[in-house]
Amino acid sequence: MEPRFRSRSFKRLRVKLPGGDNVIHYRRKGVSKAHCSLCGAVLPGVPTGRAEKIAKLSKTQKRPERPYGGVMCSKCARGTIVNKIRS
Amino acid sequence: MSAISRGRVCVKTAGKDAAKFCVITDVLGDGFVEVTGPKKLTGIKRRKCNILHLELTSDVVKIKAKATDADVIKAVTDAKFADKMKAGIAL
Repeated sequence: MEPRFRSRSFKRLRVKLPGGDNVIHYRRKGVSKAHCSLCGAVLPGVPTGRAEKIAKLSKTQKRPERPYGGVMCSKCARGTIVNKIRS
Repeated sequence: MSAISRGRVCVKTAGKDAAKFCVITDVLGDGFVEVTGPKKLTGIKRRKCNILHLELTSDVVKIKAKATDADVIKAVTDAKFADKMKAGIAL
Protein backbone atom coordinates (compact mmCIF):
# COMPACT_ATOMS: atom_id res chain seq x y z
CA MET A 1 0.00 0.00 0.00
CA GLU A 2 1.39 3.41 -0.96
CA PRO A 3 2.18 5.52 2.14
CA ARG A 4 -0.29 8.24 1.19
CA PHE A 5 -3.17 5.77 1.29
CA ARG A 6 -2.59 5.07 4.96
CA SER A 7 -4.25 8.36 5.87
CA ARG A 8 -8.03 8.61 6.28
CA SER A 9 -8.35 11.32 3.64
CA PHE A 10 -8.88 8.47 1.17
CA LYS A 11 -12.03 6.40 1.06
CA ARG A 12 -11.55 2.63 0.84
CA LEU A 13 -13.61 0.85 -1.84
CA ARG A 14 -13.73 -2.98 -1.75
CA VAL A 15 -13.84 -4.13 -5.40
CA LYS A 16 -14.39 -7.72 -6.66
CA LEU A 17 -12.40 -8.18 -9.87
CA PRO A 18 -13.63 -10.40 -12.77
CA GLY A 19 -10.86 -12.85 -11.87
CA GLY A 20 -12.57 -13.33 -8.51
CA ASP A 21 -10.03 -11.72 -6.17
CA ASN A 22 -11.00 -8.80 -3.92
CA VAL A 23 -8.93 -5.65 -3.92
CA ILE A 24 -9.20 -2.26 -2.23
CA HIS A 25 -9.44 0.86 -4.41
CA TYR A 26 -8.73 4.26 -2.86
CA ARG A 27 -10.72 7.32 -3.80
CA ARG A 28 -10.77 10.96 -2.60
CA LYS A 29 -13.71 11.87 -0.40
CA GLY A 30 -16.76 13.72 -1.74
CA VAL A 31 -17.52 17.42 -1.05
CA SER A 32 -20.74 18.92 0.34
CA LYS A 33 -23.32 20.68 -1.84
CA ALA A 34 -23.34 24.47 -2.28
CA HIS A 35 -25.66 26.28 0.14
CA CYS A 36 -27.34 29.70 0.11
CA SER A 37 -25.31 32.20 2.12
CA LEU A 38 -28.47 33.58 3.78
CA CYS A 39 -30.97 30.80 4.34
CA GLY A 40 -28.73 27.75 3.93
CA ALA A 41 -30.88 26.06 1.27
CA VAL A 42 -29.14 23.81 -1.22
CA LEU A 43 -28.38 25.81 -4.37
CA PRO A 44 -29.81 24.42 -7.61
CA GLY A 45 -27.70 24.99 -10.72
CA VAL A 46 -24.40 24.61 -8.85
CA PRO A 47 -22.56 21.29 -9.46
CA THR A 48 -20.99 19.41 -6.56
CA GLY A 49 -17.59 17.85 -7.01
CA ARG A 50 -13.95 18.26 -6.33
CA ALA A 51 -12.07 21.16 -7.91
CA GLU A 52 -10.64 19.25 -10.86
CA LYS A 53 -14.07 17.92 -11.89
CA ILE A 54 -15.71 21.37 -11.72
CA ALA A 55 -12.79 23.17 -13.39
CA LYS A 56 -13.51 21.29 -16.62
CA LEU A 57 -17.05 22.70 -16.81
CA SER A 58 -17.87 25.88 -18.70
CA LYS A 59 -18.62 29.06 -16.78
CA THR A 60 -22.39 28.85 -17.20
CA GLN A 61 -22.42 25.25 -15.97
CA LYS A 62 -20.82 26.29 -12.70
CA ARG A 63 -23.50 28.68 -11.46
CA PRO A 64 -26.75 30.38 -12.56
CA GLU A 65 -26.39 33.57 -14.65
CA ARG A 66 -28.23 35.70 -12.08
CA PRO A 67 -26.86 38.38 -9.76
CA TYR A 68 -25.73 36.50 -6.64
CA GLY A 69 -25.97 33.31 -8.76
CA GLY A 70 -24.28 30.47 -6.91
CA VAL A 71 -24.09 32.58 -3.71
CA MET A 72 -27.72 33.01 -2.74
CA CYS A 73 -30.90 31.13 -3.60
CA SER A 74 -33.27 32.98 -5.94
CA LYS A 75 -35.62 34.05 -3.11
CA CYS A 76 -32.84 35.52 -0.96
CA ALA A 77 -31.24 37.19 -4.00
CA ARG A 78 -34.56 38.80 -4.93
CA GLY A 79 -35.09 39.95 -1.33
CA THR A 80 -31.61 41.47 -1.17
CA ILE A 81 -32.07 43.28 -4.48
CA VAL A 82 -35.47 44.64 -3.42
CA ASN A 83 -33.97 45.90 -0.15
CA LYS A 84 -31.17 47.60 -2.07
CA ILE A 85 -33.67 49.22 -4.42
CA ARG A 86 -35.77 50.50 -1.56
CA SER A 87 -32.87 51.84 0.48
CA MET B 1 -54.40 55.88 -12.78
CA SER B 2 -52.84 52.60 -11.59
CA ALA B 3 -49.15 52.59 -10.74
CA ILE B 4 -48.62 49.86 -13.31
CA SER B 5 -49.10 51.89 -16.45
CA ARG B 6 -47.24 52.92 -19.56
CA GLY B 7 -44.15 55.00 -18.80
CA ARG B 8 -43.62 53.73 -15.24
CA VAL B 9 -39.89 53.29 -14.49
CA CYS B 10 -39.22 49.98 -12.74
CA VAL B 11 -36.35 47.76 -11.67
CA LYS B 12 -36.25 44.06 -12.47
CA THR B 13 -35.77 41.99 -9.32
CA ALA B 14 -35.47 38.47 -10.75
CA GLY B 15 -33.60 36.78 -13.54
CA LYS B 16 -30.32 37.63 -15.15
CA ASP B 17 -31.48 41.21 -15.72
CA ALA B 18 -32.11 41.74 -12.00
CA ALA B 19 -31.15 45.15 -10.56
CA LYS B 20 -31.53 46.80 -13.98
CA PHE B 21 -33.91 49.63 -14.76
CA CYS B 22 -36.67 49.37 -17.38
CA VAL B 23 -39.73 51.25 -18.56
CA ILE B 24 -43.21 49.75 -18.98
CA THR B 25 -44.29 50.21 -22.59
CA ASP B 26 -47.56 48.29 -22.55
CA VAL B 27 -49.85 46.57 -20.04
CA LEU B 28 -50.72 43.11 -21.38
CA GLY B 29 -53.12 41.99 -18.63
CA ASP B 30 -53.14 38.80 -16.49
CA GLY B 31 -50.29 40.24 -14.48
CA PHE B 32 -48.00 40.80 -17.43
CA VAL B 33 -46.54 43.98 -18.91
CA GLU B 34 -44.22 44.72 -21.78
CA VAL B 35 -41.00 46.36 -20.65
CA THR B 36 -37.94 47.70 -22.42
CA GLY B 37 -34.65 48.93 -20.98
CA PRO B 38 -34.12 50.01 -23.69
CA LYS B 39 -31.32 47.61 -24.58
CA LYS B 40 -28.91 50.42 -25.51
CA LEU B 41 -29.45 52.13 -22.16
CA THR B 42 -29.78 49.37 -19.58
CA GLY B 43 -29.40 46.11 -21.50
CA ILE B 44 -32.99 44.90 -21.08
CA LYS B 45 -34.56 43.98 -24.42
CA ARG B 46 -38.20 44.76 -25.14
CA ARG B 47 -40.04 41.75 -23.75
CA LYS B 48 -43.01 40.54 -21.76
CA CYS B 49 -42.41 40.51 -18.03
CA ASN B 50 -44.37 39.35 -15.01
CA ILE B 51 -45.20 42.27 -12.70
CA LEU B 52 -44.09 40.16 -9.71
CA HIS B 53 -40.54 40.39 -11.11
CA LEU B 54 -40.69 44.18 -11.15
CA GLU B 55 -40.16 46.72 -8.40
CA LEU B 56 -41.95 49.95 -9.32
CA THR B 57 -40.17 53.24 -8.70
CA SER B 58 -41.85 56.58 -8.10
CA ASP B 59 -40.69 57.90 -11.50
CA VAL B 60 -42.90 58.06 -14.61
CA VAL B 61 -42.03 59.22 -18.14
CA LYS B 62 -44.53 60.29 -20.80
CA ILE B 63 -44.37 57.94 -23.80
CA LYS B 64 -47.01 57.25 -26.43
CA ALA B 65 -48.45 53.83 -27.15
CA LYS B 66 -46.20 51.62 -29.29
CA ALA B 67 -43.28 53.90 -28.52
CA THR B 68 -40.04 52.83 -30.13
CA ASP B 69 -36.87 52.40 -28.07
CA ALA B 70 -35.60 55.70 -29.47
CA ASP B 71 -38.71 57.48 -28.14
CA VAL B 72 -38.21 55.90 -24.75
CA ILE B 73 -34.54 56.95 -24.61
CA LYS B 74 -35.51 60.48 -25.55
CA ALA B 75 -38.26 60.64 -22.91
CA VAL B 76 -35.96 59.20 -20.25
CA THR B 77 -33.08 61.59 -21.02
CA ASP B 78 -35.45 64.56 -21.06
CA ALA B 79 -36.71 63.53 -17.62
CA LYS B 80 -33.06 63.25 -16.43
CA PHE B 81 -33.41 59.57 -15.40
CA ALA B 82 -30.94 58.29 -18.04
CA ASP B 83 -27.80 58.31 -15.87
CA LYS B 84 -29.50 56.71 -12.91
CA MET B 85 -31.03 54.04 -15.15
CA LYS B 86 -27.76 53.38 -16.96
CA ALA B 87 -25.93 52.88 -13.69
CA GLY B 88 -28.49 50.41 -12.31
CA ILE B 89 -28.62 49.29 -8.67
CA ALA B 90 -25.18 48.76 -7.12
CA LEU B 91 -25.08 45.25 -5.68
